[in-house]
Amino acid sequence: MMRTFKIGIFDDEGKFLSSIRSLQEQKLQIFDVFTPYPVHEVFHLLKRKSRLPTAAYFFGLFGIVATLGFLYYTSVIDWPLIYGGKPFNSFPSFIVVTIVVTILTVTLASLALFSARSKLFPGRDNTIFDLRATDDKFVIVVDTNFPDQSQAGRAGNLMKEQGAIEIIDKEFEKVEA
Amino acid sequence: MYNRKIRGPLIEGNKSLGQITKEIASPMEVGPGLWWYIAFFVSSVAAVLGFYAIYITVYKGIGTWGVNNSVAWGWEIVNFVWWIGIGHAGTAFSIFLLILRQKWRTSINRAAEAMTVFAVMCAAIFPALHMGRVWDVFYIFPYPNTRGPLWVNFNSPLFWDFSAITAYLLISASFWYLGMLPDLGTIRDKTTSRIKKAVYGLFSMGWTGSSRQWIRFESLSFILGGIAAVLVVSVHSIVSTDFAVGIEPGWHTTIFPPFFVVGAIFSGFAMVMTLMVLIRKIYKLTDYVTDNHMDAIARILIFISLIMATAYVTELFISWYSGNKYDMFTMFRNRVTGDYTMQFWGMIVCNALIPQLFWFRKIRRNWIGLLSISLIINLGMWLERYNIVVTSLSKDFLPSNWVSYSPTIIDIGVFVGTIGLFGTGVLLFMRYIPMMAISELKSVAHIGTKKED
Repeated sequence: MMRTFKIGIFDDEGKFLSSIRSLQEQKLQIFDVFTPYPVHEVFHLLKRKSRLPTAAYFFGLFGIVATLGFLYYTSVIDWPLIYGGKPFNSFPSFIVVTIVVTILTVTLASLALFSARSKLFPGRDNTIFDLRATDDKFVIVVDTNFPDQSQAGRAGNLMKEQGAIEIIDKEFEKVEA
Repeated sequence: MYNRKIRGPLIEGNKSLGQITKEIASPMEVGPGLWWYIAFFVSSVAAVLGFYAIYITVYKGIGTWGVNNSVAWGWEIVNFVWWIGIGHAGTAFSIFLLILRQKWRTSINRAAEAMTVFAVMCAAIFPALHMGRVWDVFYIFPYPNTRGPLWVNFNSPLFWDFSAITAYLLISASFWYLGMLPDLGTIRDKTTSRIKKAVYGLFSMGWTGSSRQWIRFESLSFILGGIAAVLVVSVHSIVSTDFAVGIEPGWHTTIFPPFFVVGAIFSGFAMVMTLMVLIRKIYKLTDYVTDNHMDAIARILIFISLIMATAYVTELFISWYSGNKYDMFTMFRNRVTGDYTMQFWGMIVCNALIPQLFWFRKIRRNWIGLLSISLIINLGMWLERYNIVVTSLSKDFLPSNWVSYSPTIIDIGVFVGTIGLFGTGVLLFMRYIPMMAISELKSVAHIGTKKED
């Protein structure tokens, strides 16, 4: 199914933000917005939240338990050897490796989760609504089929009023974002 | 939060967003100048010489090096610690300033992180070669093997070192790459060349700059930054335990972990300064890396130089105060006076005295001053590692063990090779990757200017 989108292009952060606010006041659904740099006000307005920190905490917990468990298994159960008169389970000197491996676990697991959730991986072809969004323009995308066609015109006019430099209608065969 | 009356604007010249993209991406769009080809040729020749020296080392064994029974660690360990130290500051710079929300990092962090990745690669070559049988290097990986399974010694600082460096390389490379994603997307959307579009499209992994991507990107940056900060401190502390756990006079001291970490940051910041002076000079990016940026790094260097001076004095004082005659001998008869005075006093002059010139504003604002002092600091830090590694080993407890040490041509060759490798990496970075974080620059473009909210 072809999907049509109304795309508002802004060259000013302030106008772009006030446009999001008025679209929301009019209860017009915003599909997504694209910016050249992270704009924190947008996260607030669109209620975007990331649960990555929570996930990272659990990755860390897993890393600590798994590493200490591994060290205990190898040094106490599987092949106990006395090094320099230390006990088999020489916990204090295991801490160093545990810290390093835990940090590595958190990093790699968080990266993998980020890649999966944001759908960013080599060969991925996410829909680019407007090429200028990664350069110097702020882009608001409104799905014209949602909730119904009549909204699209209103959204376009509203963005124009708020100072959009351009309003474009674009059709996409398949949208991946 | 940011007082422009004190620091002035972060980016000068009232740049528009489009202008920032254009100016930072232009070195990748237009071909490099003649200087680039010459520099690239020189550093690749150096790298090839290094590979030849490595070939000789692997083919004939480490008997081709200057090391002997007493001084079992020579230039290779000196170079290893030196490179790791340089590699430290990239992450230290980028991450500590990220966590402290120091916005002036934005123009410098990309180059600093690139430097880290290349320096850690160079560093990793040395311990691997030093194992003697480099083809058996996999013995150090703790994996279920058919040799028992026999595990590695998890209580050994040498194994800690291995795990720390592996983790550090992976993490600093990931952090660097993550930060690059939005900029690679920018280049992909901006370029007109088909090949570039395909290549940068592949590497930007489908970056669009949507609000969902940005929020996850930001929170991941902070997660990685937060935990990598711990790693920065721990990696060089671990390197220092390679020495401090040994009982050699001059090594067996608890000052080592902080001393090493500070030293690492010192040499790394100096290397960041060397690179930034060259980049802003060659590519005329003085609007992005302003005199104020260089000034700030120079001030940090004075501060660290004072810490280093304190550490040197503390080492001498403690060896006298402890009353340990072996320690006293190493410090006063084998460093301050004796066979290795050149290295010791060279270190003091380069690390503790010359950086004090940065107290003068004129020198902080003069690129030749900045460049030469930053190079002198790196020389000084190399001498410091030489002092630590060689002097302690050359004259230990038994006079019958005493030998002198001098490097062979192969030692020098491997070192020159790593410098070549580093140079090649940095030059390729300048050519194919945006040298500054374009998206981050855009977010700070208005700070300190009249448009500030």
